[in-house]
Amino acid sequence: MAKQLKLKIVTPERLVLEELVDQVSLPTTLGEITVLPEHIPLITGLSSGDIVALVHGDHVPMAVVGGFIEVKNNFEGMTEVAVMADFAEHVGELTEEKIEEAKTRAEEMRKKLENKEIVDFEHFEAELERSLTRVKIADKWRTKKYRK
Amino acid sequence: MAGTKEIKRRIKSVKNTKKITKAMELVAASKMKRAVSATLASRLYAEYSWEILTSIAKNGDRIMHPLFSDREKEKMTNKTLLILITSNRGLCGAYNAQVIKKTLQLIKQENKNANVSIITVGKKGDVAMRRVGQNVVASFFELPNNLSIRDVTQISKLVINEYILENYDKVLIAYTDFISALTQTPNIKQVLPISKSELKNLVESLGEQKDQMVLQKDQKIDYLFEGNKNELIGSLAEKLTRMQIYQMLLESNASEQSSRMVAMKNASEASGEMIDDLTLVFNKARQANITREISEISAGMASVS
Repeated sequence: MAKQLKLKIVTPERLVLEELVDQVSLPTTLGEITVLPEHIPLITGLSSGDIVALVHGDHVPMAVVGGFIEVKNNFEGMTEVAVMADFAEHVGELTEEKIEEAKTRAEEMRKKLENKEIVDFEHFEAELERSLTRVKIADKWRTKKYRK
Repeated sequence: MAGTKEIKRRIKSVKNTKKITKAMELVAASKMKRAVSATLASRLYAEYSWEILTSIAKNGDRIMHPLFSDREKEKMTNKTLLILITSNRGLCGAYNAQVIKKTLQLIKQENKNANVSIITVGKKGDVAMRRVGQNVVASFFELPNNLSIRDVTQISKLVINEYILENYDKVLIAYTDFISALTQTPNIKQVLPISKSELKNLVESLGEQKDQMVLQKDQKIDYLFEGNKNELIGSLAEKLTRMQIYQMLLESNASEQSSRMVAMKNASEASGEMIDDLTLVFNKARQANITREISEISAGMASVS
């Protein structure tokens, strides 16, 4: 059997995914990278976008916003990819309703942004990015095939 | 008959109260379960953040970031920022009173050499602090019950900004530690500057089985860092701060619900006892009435015959 790597996606709220995968593509702050088994240890920042894991030829897409990536070899010599995201959700969980909700929220926030003070600005900015990422990623995967 | 009617009314009202306290007890119990599981869920994230931090530290460079290093002597402002976490509502036993008392003690201690400003989370703490005339710089009341990390962002951003602007020497947080459903202790911890030993304690207290693994892992891994290392450390520091505050809020939330549960349980029991007592009094009064009536009737009969 071909070598696999262990992918873990954690947010402060929960463990989103823990699975053995063949490869994984991640959006880092410097651009997208793909990690294969036996990758060298790496620490880098995560930007918002989609993480796509490949399991037996199936794509497993996750929408993520901000955080870190750590790649290392664990005790058993297996490559382990730990993703610490502020927010992560499987694309399958992004149903139409949720997308609509996110869209309207993004719009609302944009309007609010205009008459808010600086203190709230960053909070809104984060929320806005989250909503927009959800919409973008859901749109991207709407027509593609992926594993639920 | 006047006595029995009043007693009956009282029994009824106590029964209604009991229903309410019972319902509150059940609600608090289920909320507590959720809060506890949320606390455990955030554990993994804490462990990984810690791991990354230690790997960065092991890689030779000292971590140089304002959020990590103590304030230099000449820049000392002698001011402390304290975040006080309390509940929005009462009826939760000594939960609020305990943490407020602890805070006031600390303020008294610190007041000799430092100025303490306060950020309050929860109405109860806010009211208490304003009453004693403390300097409350910000208050947060509208945190939802199932707290998510994004609700914490506003607090952590405010705290980090204030700290980086060098308005304060350190940031403390007063919260209630959830030990078990029956014991909660108020506690005060330092959030900023991030002290590594405190963070280590936090991670250790969170994961009983796993922490040993993390700590034993002393072998050095040569990490490749992509992107600006300082930026990475900066954003890691921000996230750690946020995560700490989040953790404290979750702990406090779990404590609040469990102490409310216990308080309501006691109230339900007390009202049960009260109902029993009142029923006894009611029966006695009824019996006295009957006896009196009988004796009146027989006295009437005797006078007729």
